[in-house]
Amino acid sequence: MTSTAGGRDIIICEGVKKWFGDFQALRGITTTVAEGEVVVVFGPSGSGKSTFIRTLNRLEEHDEGRIVIDGVELNENLRNLEKVRSEVGMVFQQFNLFPHLTVRRNITLALTNVRHLRKAEADALAEQLLNRVGIPEQVDKYPAQLSGGQQQRVAIARALAMQPKIMLFDEPTSALDPEMIKEVLDVMTQLAHEGMTMIVITHEMGFAREVADRFLFFDDGMIVEEGTPEHFFEDPQEERTKLFLSQIL
Amino acid sequence: MDAMTAAKAPPAQFSIQARRWARDNLFGGIGNTLLTVVTSLFLAFAFYQILRFVFSSAQWDVIEANRRLLFIGRFPQGEEWRLWPTIFLVSALAGLTWGLWSKVGWLAAVLLALVLVPVFLFFAHGQVGMLTALAIALALMGYAVTQTGLVHERFQGPIRQLIVVGWVMAFPVTIFMLLAFGGVDPSLWGGFYLNILLAVVGIVASFPLGVLLALSRTSSYPAFRLVSTGYIELFRGVPLITILLMAWFVLPDFLPSWSVPVFAPAGLDRMELVYRVMVALTLFSAAYVAEIVRGGLLAVPKGQLEAAQALGLSTVRINALIVLPQALRAVLPALVGQFISLFKDTSLVSIVTLVELLRAGRAIAQGQIQFSGRDPEILLFVALLFWIVAFSMSRLSQRLEHSLGIGER
Repeated sequence: MTSTAGGRDIIICEGVKKWFGDFQALRGITTTVAEGEVVVVFGPSGSGKSTFIRTLNRLEEHDEGRIVIDGVELNENLRNLEKVRSEVGMVFQQFNLFPHLTVRRNITLALTNVRHLRKAEADALAEQLLNRVGIPEQVDKYPAQLSGGQQQRVAIARALAMQPKIMLFDEPTSALDPEMIKEVLDVMTQLAHEGMTMIVITHEMGFAREVADRFLFFDDGMIVEEGTPEHFFEDPQEERTKLFLSQIL
Repeated sequence: MDAMTAAKAPPAQFSIQARRWARDNLFGGIGNTLLTVVTSLFLAFAFYQILRFVFSSAQWDVIEANRRLLFIGRFPQGEEWRLWPTIFLVSALAGLTWGLWSKVGWLAAVLLALVLVPVFLFFAHGQVGMLTALAIALALMGYAVTQTGLVHERFQGPIRQLIVVGWVMAFPVTIFMLLAFGGVDPSLWGGFYLNILLAVVGIVASFPLGVLLALSRTSSYPAFRLVSTGYIELFRGVPLITILLMAWFVLPDFLPSWSVPVFAPAGLDRMELVYRVMVALTLFSAAYVAEIVRGGLLAVPKGQLEAAQALGLSTVRINALIVLPQALRAVLPALVGQFISLFKDTSLVSIVTLVELLRAGRAIAQGQIQFSGRDPEILLFVALLFWIVAFSMSRLSQRLEHSLGIGER
């Protein structure tokens, strides 16, 4: 697959397989993602899409195959793991902000403890990032005091603080009330336009069509079909793809 | 809640509301009215009997005459100077802490009066009276300094840190004062001072041990899980008294006899009974702390761990910065409950001949002919001392819960 963004391959997956007990969640995923590319992953629930992106920063360990992130192979080597994790940001469906820390501390925590920045530097960066996601005034609040949309934007700022080369989004708007979805998608759109490499699991097809360079359709632990947004909207090939698209559009 | 809304209403309304409340809650129907009358009569009778005993028939001179024995046991005459620095330090810290972290409400003020007035009455003469007054004055000054806004906001952070350091230093200072410059034989430590000392050691030592056990029981390494589960099940399955008796009879056979001269004055070379008891209480309490903390660890959502991992934080930092703070917050009430329990359990060390408060009290009634039959007075006083400390711990826990925002998420 040639990517439209045309950079070097920053993510390489070869025959990635994963089992949970007897259940095979991934049945051999082979794909590459180029630097600067935005890939949207979709498919029915239980299709393995979430497991797939969670293998990319080893929140799930893959059982077979190879995963190489920015030239570093993911394996038992913990040093590799730390390096990869600090270069791959992740945004979760349930936000997973740290409830006992202020917004500021949520963002600076990894900066001071992984990057070893000084507190003043980290604070400045936190404020800058909150500006970027449009909520600079919330810096001293606790997560519970924010709306869902604001929390998710803080989560994005927290992931961005590490200046990652890749951002993973695991259904970032699925837990949000409808009126808050746009504010989160806007931030993500801006991020995509700035050239961030992104893998996004989402069923927000309007957004996906606008920002994605490529779609991956997952079903039953496999990539059933992949291609440009135009390909999917105008000329999907597989029956399963057509069926699923007809259900969500 | 009713009382609070009623209190804010104008007087006329208040009496109407009070009447309505009484009608609804106390005199709604014949059965309810009967129950109210009977309960009131019983409470009035019990209250009358207690008051009559406390203020009329009880002869409190037994406490007055034995205050030394009750508070410090057989601590040698002329060595009391070793105790006062600790008392001063703790008084000042208590005042500062209350002042900085919370307002003293009317309930706490009553409690404080309950603590200070009897204490002062028993020490209100001679040198001891003056020193006690000084300790109380230190507490009040600490409270006044931090509560009345005398401290500029800029200095609040450093003062907080100073207070924390002070609390951390209190225990080493106490032990140093007991042992330095000749020292007092640990077998002579006693009275309520010993109860508090044992409780503090037990709490301070069993807390980190318990946290470690909880972490290792939830760890992904089977060896850690096995060791910690074994430990916890072993110590939870044996009565504390048994463990204390083993510390008394059995433990010495297992201990090496160090003959390090430096430790000799402290009685550490032969591992005095007091130290063995400290170890026993710590090991026992740690098993319970571990299970409480484990409950908290399990309550932290998995997503918290994943978010922290995704940021590249190391396992140690994830536990220290993300998981433990949330887990401990969730189990703070249960944890304080365990510590109150431990504090009261220090009275069990009387079984192994240590003269703590309860045993000192029993010794008076049994050994002093002029005070025979005064058990009610003595036991009431012993109970009051335990209650004051236990209740303070409970209040402090509520304040902490409040300031940490438990249940507000």
